[in-house]
Amino acid sequence: MGVTRRQALQVLGVGVATKALGKSARASEAKDPSHYDDTLGMLYDASRCIGCKACMPACNEANGLPADTELSEGLHQTPLRLNAQTKNIIELCEDKATEQHSFVKRQCMHCLEPACVSGCPFGALAKNAENGIVSWRADLCIGCRFCEVACPFEVPQFEWKAFNPKIVKCELCMHRLPDGSAPACTEVCPTEAVIFGKRGELMKDAKNRIAKNPGFFYEDRVYGEKEAGGTQVLYLSRVSFASLGLPTLTYGSLPRYSTKYQSILYKFMAIPTLIYIGLVALIRRSWKHHQQQAAEIERETGMLEQL
Amino acid sequence: MTPKPEILNPWQRGVPVEGKIFTPSVLLLIALALIGVGFALARTIGGLGNYTGMSSAYAWGVWKTFNVMTLTALGSGGLAVGLAAWVFDRHELHVVMRTALITSFLFYLFGLLGLAIDVGRPWNFYNLLFPWTWNVHSALFEVSLAMPIYCVVFLGFENAPAVFERLWYTGTPKMRQWATKIRPAALKAYPFVIAGAYLLPMGHQSSLGALMMLGGDKVHPLWQTQMLPLLYVIQAVICGFAFVIFILQASALTWKRPIDIRVIATLCSFLSYTVFIWLGLRAIDLTIRGVWGLAFEANYLSLVFWIENLTLLIPAALFMTHKFKHTAMWTFKLSVMAILGGMLYRFTPTAFAYHPSENASYFPTVPEFMITVGLISASLAAYAIAVKVLAILPAPTQAWFKQVDDWRLHYPEEAAYADHHH
Repeated sequence: MGVTRRQALQVLGVGVATKALGKSARASEAKDPSHYDDTLGMLYDASRCIGCKACMPACNEANGLPADTELSEGLHQTPLRLNAQTKNIIELCEDKATEQHSFVKRQCMHCLEPACVSGCPFGALAKNAENGIVSWRADLCIGCRFCEVACPFEVPQFEWKAFNPKIVKCELCMHRLPDGSAPACTEVCPTEAVIFGKRGELMKDAKNRIAKNPGFFYEDRVYGEKEAGGTQVLYLSRVSFASLGLPTLTYGSLPRYSTKYQSILYKFMAIPTLIYIGLVALIRRSWKHHQQQAAEIERETGMLEQL
Repeated sequence: MTPKPEILNPWQRGVPVEGKIFTPSVLLLIALALIGVGFALARTIGGLGNYTGMSSAYAWGVWKTFNVMTLTALGSGGLAVGLAAWVFDRHELHVVMRTALITSFLFYLFGLLGLAIDVGRPWNFYNLLFPWTWNVHSALFEVSLAMPIYCVVFLGFENAPAVFERLWYTGTPKMRQWATKIRPAALKAYPFVIAGAYLLPMGHQSSLGALMMLGGDKVHPLWQTQMLPLLYVIQAVICGFAFVIFILQASALTWKRPIDIRVIATLCSFLSYTVFIWLGLRAIDLTIRGVWGLAFEANYLSLVFWIENLTLLIPAALFMTHKFKHTAMWTFKLSVMAILGGMLYRFTPTAFAYHPSENASYFPTVPEFMITVGLISASLAAYAIAVKVLAILPAPTQAWFKQVDDWRLHYPEEAAYADHHH
């Protein structure tokens, strides 16, 4: 997609605007997957998860979120799905075909090319250029919820009941990282079902596990390697990914898919400029006829033309 | 410009509708609009979740999918008729430009108001003033920047002549002086500004389609295509033509004006050609992507798909014949049909064909519905008032002389100015 609309706006005379955009714009240009090896992510191995849900209260505590206790009438944390109080959830799933059961952990996937960031009108959602964490800024968000429409994993959660609603999603505990801590969910996991690390290393680890035990994991592949153009959170599972609620995606990187032709159309604003020049030429030709006609009518009837 | 003898009442200029402004129906529309305002205030104070059926799965409700996506398509008459009149040089259409432009202005204005009610943190719109916060890759950004500019600046400019004309006849001498003074400059700028007024909606109407491309697999493959922007903008032109054909005749019926069927027939021809282009592009798109099979599956989405196509194809095909486009009863009915088809297409990708994977559903609540009704009522009320205050609806020349006499009657001391203008 690249420079496109940025250049478009430069031509329109708001060059100031675009200088500051540099960083986020460049982040969306096509890159080799290895470029993202050093970004931070998680590897969740569903076959190791015992469903203890220790990661859920740990997440709420680390992020200062009150637990969702609505279903249990205030007794304990019982969210049904990700919501404005739940950035991380463990769900029990059944593969209807094989009648196998498995837990699944859900949170932001931290896409390599996030659709939410691409759609966000004022850059309230942004992907960090170094660690790749996708995070949200309150002062830029207009609450349009395009991120929710765009996210193929349906992760961002809007505070529907609030007067000044926030977008709530996993930000990989980025506020804890400077102290040397890892994301809270990975620190408390007793079976190391979810581990934290750099994407490149996690990918190697996941592929090692597959290589050591061929046929054990579903389709012998890592979910998140290619999905949505690649994600920083990776999944291994014994049951089908679809039965875990991990969608089968056909369009790859959505930012790339959705701006493929726009990038040509808006390049240097050349085509819109040409269209404008053509329109002016045709309209002025018609305008001449119209003015002649109007003058005639005015002479005959005394009525001024109506535009 | 001499009318053919068989035409009794050709449209020649915009003339205000006579009669009381605040009729019972206008008051009813205003009341509905006020109920909408009440709900909008409640929603602002009480949060979106307490008043709407939206959820994080179905994050966009009727305000975006209907008021913005669908009604701004109907409000594309200014674009459609403008292109036909100025770019395709069809002078007979100038007489209906004002009708097209006022409906465009009102639908955009109240569509944007719907957008302001829909967003959760509207106060952060101040970022529009700070270019360094803009995400110029976002189609929604283009929509939120270009739509207000188009509505206020361009449609404002295009609608200004009607306002200045009224000021010229009934304003104070100072106003008249001022209107006369700026006229030459405005006329000079006119072709350059309206070229922009056609370029801008091509951008943001296609961006409305681009929005749903980011929806990826959530949008059914019959609708999910990289051609969405192109199909959306052409559909806007179709809706624009269809709605202008409809509103001209509906207004003629409401206020007992004659109909100039030649002008209507010209608009019908333009509607036909645009529909054929659109259907052709859609067929090519489905063929390239190889998804025709989905159109013949036995489910309600394939039904929606065929309703969309047929409600456009039938009027377009019939309007190719002289008889149908010259019979007022048919032009009225078939324009309604085309409007419904066009609206359905603009609505479907965000509604019927939008399926988030999560097990969720959406149906608008009473407050959502009432705010939508309120916004539509407000635009209709504003339209009914505008056609009585301004010279918008087309009429025969005699009506214009009578109107000018009326204006002079109300302002006898000003009559001399109008008389001495020429």
